[in-house]
Formats: sequence, structure tokens, C-alpha cells
Amino acid sequence: MPRILSAVLIIAVFMPGTLAAKGDHKAGETKAYTCTGCHGIPGYNNVYPTYKVPKIGGQNYQYLVSALKAYRSGEREHATMELQAQALSDQDIEDVAAYFASLGGGETGK
Amino acid sequence: MSDWTRKAVLALTCVVPLALGPAELHADGDPQAGREKAKQCESCHGTDGRSVEPSYPNLAGQYESYLIKALSDYRSGARDHAIMKSFAANLSNQDIEDLAAWHSSQEGLKDLSIK
Repeated sequence: MPRILSAVLIIAVFMPGTLAAKGDHKAGETKAYTCTGCHGIPGYNNVYPTYKVPKIGGQNYQYLVSALKAYRSGEREHATMELQAQALSDQDIEDVAAYFASLGGGETGK
Repeated sequence: MSDWTRKAVLALTCVVPLALGPAELHADGDPQAGREKAKQCESCHGTDGRSVEPSYPNLAGQYESYLIKALSDYRSGARDHAIMKSFAANLSNQDIEDLAAWHSSQEGLKDLSIK
């Protein structure tokens, strides 16, 4: 087998994460309009039980994708978030996650 | 007010707070105590509350009451995550309040800006 082909195969096998498309943060900004109704109001409260709606600006991309998918499947329970997430495709989730992650706070730290 | 109404009001005044249940956790923990207790969190969530691995959430600057809710849910099992469940199982209410106070005091996460 030509050496170059072997190299391509090795990369393809060991780096699937880097080949996966990451969401489009520009598209995500438009799709995230609804989210600002709660997550865009500083100190806004969830009620019954009462706690503040979490900050998601600067949250990690992969965490946001898994959180939204867990809400969509019902694995993570929250009435409002389950309904919101059910309206999202995989692409929508990746796009809004890319947008939130782009808003500062840092991808990874120390 | 009739005697009956007065009795009914009195009864409700006593019963309603009981029905709502005892206040459990408050967002008034001690951030410095939380800093010490957060040593066990650092290997995943970073010393600065910014996670070392992007599948873990950043905690820095998150709202105290949300962090309390998250840790309580991990402890009770309402939120299911094997690693977090094992950590949260050992936390007292005071520990949860202190950890939440510490991480919310760190600089990091933001609300979405409204344009």
C-alpha cells in the first residue's frame, strides 16, 4: 500500500473528532434568538424551584451539545428546555453551541 | 371576619409553610471555605473554574443558585452522571453552598448579550 494512503487511513482512524464538523457560530447567533428570552436577562429566575437561569456565554462547545441533546431526549429533565430542544436538529444544536462557546469565558483553562 | 373564616385563615397560615417544605439550601455559602473544598473538582473543572476538557462545563462565574441546584440534583440522582454522582454523594448542604459560592465568585461565564 502506498505510504501516503496508509498515513491518510491512520489519521482517519485516530482523529475522528477533528473530522467531525463543528457548528457555525454565525448561523447559531440567529438561531439562538429564542434563548436570549431567558439566558439573556442577567439574574433571571427559573421558578418552582427558584434558581437563576444559568449563564451559557463562554460555556464549552461539547458540553453545550451534550446538554441540549440530553434535554431533547428527555434524559435531562426540564420542561422548558425539553420543549425548546425538541425543536432543534443536530445542526441547530451544533450551531447554537458554537455561538454560545464563542462568547468568551475560554474554551479550556488550567 | 366570621369566627369560621378567622379559623380557616389561621389554619392556612400554619399549614401552607409546612406544605412548601423546609427551606433547604441557600445561596449564602462561604467562598473561601469553598475554595479549599474545591480541590477535588480541579482535576476536571480547572483551578480557575475553566474546564480542562471541553466536554466538562466551565463553572467560573456561574450563578450560585444554579450551581447549588446542579449539585443537589447530582446528589439526589435527579441529574444523572456517574462521576458527578459519586462526588456529590459525599457533600453536605454546607459543602454545596460553599462550593457554589466559590465557583460563582470566579471570573468566567457570561449571560447572553441582548442585541
